[in-house]
Amino acid sequence: MSRLEAKKPLLFISEPLNKDTVSQSLSLLTGILKSCYGPAGRLKQLHNGVGGYVCTTSQSSAILSRLSVSHRVLSVLMASVQNHISRFSDCGLFTAILCCSLIENFKSLNVAPCTVIKISKHLLSLCMDYLKSEACGCRIWVDFSSVETLLCLVRSILTSKPACMLNKTEVDHLSTLILKAFLFTVPCHVESNAVLGKCVIVPVKGRRVVDSVVLPGLLIETPEIQLAKPPTVKRTCSNMIRIALFCVSMSGDGFNPEEGTITVHHGISIETLELNQLLNVGKQLVNDEVGLVVCQKVIHPSLKQYLKENRVIAVDRAGLSLMEPLSQMTGSKPIASVHLLSPSCYGSLKDVRIESFASKHFVHLIPNDTVVCSLILCNRNETAWDELKRTCETAEHVLQLTIKEPLALLGGGCTETHLASYIRHKSCSLSTSTFRDLDCSRTQYQLVADGFCRSLESVACSLNHDEGEILTDMVYGHCWFVPSGFPSVSNWSDLVSKCGCGINGNTENLNWRLLQGQFDSPAIQGCPRELSVKVVDFLTLDCFAAKCSGLQVALETANLILDLSYVIEDQN
Amino acid sequence: MAFRDVNARRHIGLQQLSSLALAGRTLLGPMKSCKFIVDESTNESTLICSAVRLLESLDLTSAAGQLLNETIQAQNKEFKTGMSTLLFLAGAWSNAVVECLQQNVPVSAIVSVMSEGLSSCCERVQCLQISIRDVNEELCSSNVRPNAFKSKTCQSGCDNLLNPQILMYFQKDISAPEEVNPCSHQEDCCNLNKHLVSPLAGFGSVGPLVKPAGGKSMSVISGSGGIASSCNKQKLTHSRYFSTQGKSWFSSQQGNSQGCLSGPSADPCECYGLGHLAMALSHGNQTSLKLLQSIVAYQRERAECSGSLQFNTAEIVTCCLQGLPENYSCVSPGFVTLVSPEQAAVIKYFEDKPLRILLMDGDLTEQYRHLGFNRPRNVRTILEHPSLQEGRAGALWLSSMLDILISFEVNLVLVKGNVCENLMERCIANSILVIGSVSRNVLSVFGEVTRAQPVTYLTQLNAACVGSGAQVELWKACDGRAMDLGELVPVRIKVRGIPMLTAVLTSTVTSKMQLIEDAFWTSVYRLHHALNDKKVFLGGGAVELLCLSHIQMLAEQPLQTANKNAVNEFHNSWLAASVTEYKSVVLQALASGWKQYLSVVMCNTAKAASELEACTSVDHHLKKAADCGSPLAYILKEFGRGDLLRGGSGPFADHREGLKVYDNVTAKIEAWRRALDLVLLVLQTDAEIITGPKKNQLLNSHMSNEYMFL
Repeated sequence: MSRLEAKKPLLFISEPLNKDTVSQSLSLLTGILKSCYGPAGRLKQLHNGVGGYVCTTSQSSAILSRLSVSHRVLSVLMASVQNHISRFSDCGLFTAILCCSLIENFKSLNVAPCTVIKISKHLLSLCMDYLKSEACGCRIWVDFSSVETLLCLVRSILTSKPACMLNKTEVDHLSTLILKAFLFTVPCHVESNAVLGKCVIVPVKGRRVVDSVVLPGLLIETPEIQLAKPPTVKRTCSNMIRIALFCVSMSGDGFNPEEGTITVHHGISIETLELNQLLNVGKQLVNDEVGLVVCQKVIHPSLKQYLKENRVIAVDRAGLSLMEPLSQMTGSKPIASVHLLSPSCYGSLKDVRIESFASKHFVHLIPNDTVVCSLILCNRNETAWDELKRTCETAEHVLQLTIKEPLALLGGGCTETHLASYIRHKSCSLSTSTFRDLDCSRTQYQLVADGFCRSLESVACSLNHDEGEILTDMVYGHCWFVPSGFPSVSNWSDLVSKCGCGINGNTENLNWRLLQGQFDSPAIQGCPRELSVKVVDFLTLDCFAAKCSGLQVALETANLILDLSYVIEDQN
Repeated sequence: MAFRDVNARRHIGLQQLSSLALAGRTLLGPMKSCKFIVDESTNESTLICSAVRLLESLDLTSAAGQLLNETIQAQNKEFKTGMSTLLFLAGAWSNAVVECLQQNVPVSAIVSVMSEGLSSCCERVQCLQISIRDVNEELCSSNVRPNAFKSKTCQSGCDNLLNPQILMYFQKDISAPEEVNPCSHQEDCCNLNKHLVSPLAGFGSVGPLVKPAGGKSMSVISGSGGIASSCNKQKLTHSRYFSTQGKSWFSSQQGNSQGCLSGPSADPCECYGLGHLAMALSHGNQTSLKLLQSIVAYQRERAECSGSLQFNTAEIVTCCLQGLPENYSCVSPGFVTLVSPEQAAVIKYFEDKPLRILLMDGDLTEQYRHLGFNRPRNVRTILEHPSLQEGRAGALWLSSMLDILISFEVNLVLVKGNVCENLMERCIANSILVIGSVSRNVLSVFGEVTRAQPVTYLTQLNAACVGSGAQVELWKACDGRAMDLGELVPVRIKVRGIPMLTAVLTSTVTSKMQLIEDAFWTSVYRLHHALNDKKVFLGGGAVELLCLSHIQMLAEQPLQTANKNAVNEFHNSWLAASVTEYKSVVLQALASGWKQYLSVVMCNTAKAASELEACTSVDHHLKKAADCGSPLAYILKEFGRGDLLRGGSGPFADHREGLKVYDNVTAKIEAWRRALDLVLLVLQTDAEIITGPKKNQLLNSHMSNEYMFL
């Protein structure tokens, strides 16, 4: 007997942003994200509360992927930030914090949402035009002929995640490794469409960070190697090693468990038939002078034995993630069937070695032309290793984005404050025709622009997690930090030493003002000047592409959320 | 998702760390007090004596507890030593950091000053590193000092009587020939000869006298030496600490003499280097030390044949025998393991003939398939002509497997996994010895030395896979008795030239077995890491004391210079700004960890009556170090003579040169670093985010007001 249940009616929520629960949840989420931001950010322990793995992190990617939220408004926000992260890896927290601040600031304005949206889109276009223009004072060119700027970029990413638990030496060591790994992935001979290679991270948990190394080629972990003497590899006449790459299981269980039933007579062993089939493949591989067989899944022990007796190295359990770089590196096509074996699928390698690292054993595949490399990444404990891995992946991704667009933005809050002072300056000097086009008054424009600037500045302020003051200067529009415990004095120059990105020293009177608490400050301000970039060792830099996208995503998401008038939920 | 704010002035996570660490205080230092951990629900109890086992037995559901456990496990996996130090420092530093928080020191200042402070200390203590070569020279030379020492030993023996609670043993490690093995108890003196023929015995003391070749003897004994030393009622171990375990060491040495007659001996210098080093690293653990020194001697003898001297941990296994007194512990070449009496009965048929050996790297059962093989579910078998014989399940498999074994004339099968019981019975009936649950590295050693190729299925077998030359015998204890321990019998499998050594660990107390095994591996790995590092630290608290004095110096550095460097030091102005102001407070917090460490070790070893007294003593030395201008020189001078923190006016003041104590370099530094990383990781955490089904429980529980929900 089936029981029918009446369908529940749809749930309508009007003006979702004005609901208390939503704004409470939103401000809680804002609080969580803001507290994570920057090199002094606070960490979060994500766990299931019953003794499972504890993830200690301050990264938006880790936090957002594990949070479950009850309200749709928050889901929209999180989804668009996660989408940004999946495309750029970096600047996830920036995007999320900016978006939350924008929502908060715009909501408190007494301006109709549609006007706010129009004006803010105009503000965004002003920002983007400025960031993309030569005159932009908060970006620098990345010079790929020297490593300095690139190292600054990587170092900024590493130091912005305190849960990696790196000290100065370790940051330097790892920045160099990441850069080295990246340079391995850039092809030497560029043709019309160059494709970057891949850096595969090999986990070695429990070791010191400074034990990490980068090796060209790929490493496949093999526990069994210790049971056998290092084999001599069979080579083809051109002194290369021929490799066959299987992505199908060779364990001898090759039936599809989903479809139908096979009926066999007693005494007939399907296993034996399968094994014979595999051994035939083995015979062909030996005849074809293959020296190395790599299988994504498991190879039957008998086949392994046969191959070994014929001096063919067999490596199984390579795993899905290695298949693409393996095929890219060796030029082989993954073989998906043990019934059809075409010699055109084989690839080639320069050398194969056995390497031991910590207590692990690896088969090291060395290609002719290195565009694939392995980063053996070590960190002392699991939670810090996981954080470090995410951070290294971000750094690699940022370098890839930077080679496409060789620009970087000043970090440490300086881009945000600089951009805010640019907008404040610019919004005063707009012609009336602009307002007419936007269908708004100058006051309305000023209000929205001010909210926009305060949102940007509040992102910079989120870098500060201890008591203390955030300043900005009236000349370059950079961001400065003063520790707590000093009386509020007019002469800030006694207290500040360097701006957030590290490009400015305290050498001239820059006319500092407090960033927060002075919202009614006169907007009369010169256009922030650009600083001639001297070679500075330790600049804090941000990824240009990621931050630009973050700015756009944050504003568009905020606009979308502000524009929500109904949430309709299906409760069934 | 539930969300809890943990960062109040009194940080919950740090408090959890410090309270967990409190349980491990008595595990610090070489004089550990064991603990019983009782499970109230089952009334089962476990005896533990190390930080790893402590945390394994505790119920750790809190996030900080989980992280602590993870950190300690990682240290254990990597080093097998330093876990108690890690646990203790994590607790001490948590407390110190909480105090900083209460003084309103910003978190970022604590983090950067502490981690920079630790790095600076780690650099500073490098000058207390001694290379292994220097250690060998020093240890060996210090021992060729014949009689200067003897009379004082007697005296010390008398002095020690003043303190009957602590049995103090003194052993001059390698004596010059005439100063044969100082023997401890009078009643043992009659056994002197036995000691002399025991080349492997403990400290290898009689090494120089013994020539192993042909078992030709031995005793060019200078009676006076033996007698003179026999008046030493008590001995002092080669530790900064006093140990009562020496007693059992001595009696076991006696027992050992016969079993070890065939063992290798050593000639004075290089050889003893490792033995000495092991001793200096053993921190008074005599049982393990004795075994380790035997291992070193065996491996050295082998190395003489092959030409390379190395200490290989992969070739060491342990076999635990319950029910034998602890002094039966010894090292046997080959692989010793426990088998059932039925299996042992097979051995009689083997006698001394070389056996054909087969290695299997899976289970030996009909159902077993290699990992990754998925059993097909959609295959149906039709039986057309049923017959009685084929109905018997598994009989076919059994007989065909047995046929394979017989046709290849296999006598001995080592299996990594389980063995089918029926097959085992049939094999026994056919005089084939099958041993299951053999670890992978044992298989690999046997593979190398017998040329056997491990197989997964017997059907894979071909002539090339079978190795030869193995021999099996019943394992005999030192006194020549074959052991029958009720259900299980120890057997020894050896092959000519096999590098494998089994440390047979014995105890009559079941619950102590684990402790003994852990302690043995700790000793093994200490030596292993010392050789890997190629250097050791001057031990006995020297390193910690230098750290303390270094921090004093750092804290007193004028703020001005510190300020200038700050920004460069910390890359980042966000971290640098507030640092200088709080520098000295935070550095004091860092120092308090090591100070407490030293004082708790002193208390545990009863060298100080209270922690206060110990602290005063540490302060006293710090002051003296500072006053003398060069703290390093002071520490080198004082510790060079032995253990500074022993308390100055002991009976040993005059002959400290023999009492070297060393610590591992990397293991120690890493334990510090891991402890501080953990504390800083927890410190920087301001919220717990609880995911999964637990959230709903929290929502409805009385604790829901502690949480916020998204």
